[in-house]
Amino acid sequence: MAGSALDRVETDKPYEALAVTGKAEASAGSPIIELAQLTKTFDSSGQKVVAIEGVDLAVRPGEFVTLVGPSGCGKSTLFNIVSGLLDADTGGKIHFKGEERQGKELLGTVSFMPQRDLLLPWRRVIDNAVIALEVEGMRRKEAREKAQVMFQEFGLAGFERHYPHQLSGGMRQRVALMRTFLFERDLMLLDEPFGALDALTRVMMQRWLLGIWQRHRRSILFITHDVDEAIFLGDRVVVMTARPGRIKLSREIDLPRPRDPHVTTTPEFLAIKADLMEAIEEESMKSFMSQDERG
Amino acid sequence: MARAGYLALGIFIIGCLWEAAIAIFALPPFILPPLASIGGAIWSEFPFLMRGLRATLTVAGAGYAVGAVAAILLALSMVLVPTIERVVKPVIVAINSVPVVAYAPLCLVWFGMGPASKIAMVILAAGFTVFVNALQGLQSVDAAGVNLLRSFGAGPFRIAWMLRLPAALPAIITGLRVAVVRSMIIAIVAEMLGAYEGLGRIIYESTQQIEFLTLWAAIIVASTASMIAYGILVVIDRRLVWWK
Repeated sequence: MAGSALDRVETDKPYEALAVTGKAEASAGSPIIELAQLTKTFDSSGQKVVAIEGVDLAVRPGEFVTLVGPSGCGKSTLFNIVSGLLDADTGGKIHFKGEERQGKELLGTVSFMPQRDLLLPWRRVIDNAVIALEVEGMRRKEAREKAQVMFQEFGLAGFERHYPHQLSGGMRQRVALMRTFLFERDLMLLDEPFGALDALTRVMMQRWLLGIWQRHRRSILFITHDVDEAIFLGDRVVVMTARPGRIKLSREIDLPRPRDPHVTTTPEFLAIKADLMEAIEEESMKSFMSQDERG
Repeated sequence: MARAGYLALGIFIIGCLWEAAIAIFALPPFILPPLASIGGAIWSEFPFLMRGLRATLTVAGAGYAVGAVAAILLALSMVLVPTIERVVKPVIVAINSVPVVAYAPLCLVWFGMGPASKIAMVILAAGFTVFVNALQGLQSVDAAGVNLLRSFGAGPFRIAWMLRLPAALPAIITGLRVAVVRSMIIAIVAEMLGAYEGLGRIIYESTQQIEFLTLWAAIIVASTASMIAYGILVVIDRRLVWWK
């Protein structure tokens, strides 16, 4: 089922359609969000755990930033802070479109997509997609009309009135992405959206996401474990250190867009990958060793 | 449909064992009357039994409805305002750590011999059953789902309406189903302890007057009514919680 839906997307939207490059606009304008010296300490039964420490990060309008790091490096903590679900320690600053915001003030300002699809089993696909619009107070009929036009683009045409359990994993993930897109905010946070998918579906979804992004021009901050994915998607790859999570390295990816999947086998791509792998492996080793010490 | 078949088979087997026991052990009618004579008693006293059933169902139904609504509202308020849970929940648990029947004498003193005292006891019993299930269901909602709605800017009321209530529906309906039977039991027991009418009253009086056929007839009517009510809730469950 997933396969056929994806085929449809690709025949509808040929690759030439993606010819707009993200670069020109990405570098223009002041950052949409700017994090300065963000630190978060958790207090678990008297023991202080520093999840992230002194994180500085800025995302420019229209930019696609991918975030990689060893597991447990506080990537999800960072996302929870940026989306307003969690308060950072005092001292750090978040500027959203130039205005300083903190904690709960950020709720509802960025569109956030967690790792799991979190579709509500009792709502039809279309009603899951419009849930953020409903929260904003839009009438359901109007919200559905707004969502309806996106089904073709998201490869879900014909599945509007299905229930989530009738969909494959890839399709569910696309419904979740559509829900995120329909919550129209200039910054999207995607937390390993393709982590649970098989390798083939994941590659299809990556290409498809790039297409959607280039047409909708939103800024994206994207968490992943997968270095190939990070390079293939990103204008910039940011590597985080092992706990406590810090920004170790930020590297512009100057591979031309639109990116063909074959780009992953070019020498330029492999050179970038070698650089990043070195940094990441160093960090993975650290977190591995520190687990060893603890054990 | 298959379920109805098994139910009929079960009733048939019990009926056979019943008649066999009477035949083998030569049981006198006041120990175990033949099924035919119980059927005869139901037939001849049908209007009388139905008046009793109506009184019992009124008490059980009113108490059940009020108790269930109050329980769901209370559980919801506890989810929205955690302080309410900390203050009120221990009180509710304390009240219900004693069998509801223990409150029967007090209820009779407070609310009299009429239906009000029985309704109060059913409210307590049915309400507690629904409350425990509803609270558990409302609280065991996936935190990630709550966070997702919060990130869209939803407040606690909207989260309760869009996520918590539907997610808790299976647990709430389980509570409602169990509470149906409890309501009937409590209504009948309460009537036995002091009432002007109802199946419980008929059971109590016919025992006093050694009218064993009427006693059995009342028991069978009560049991049948309970099972029908339970069956209705099972159907509602399947209609409302189709996604499980």
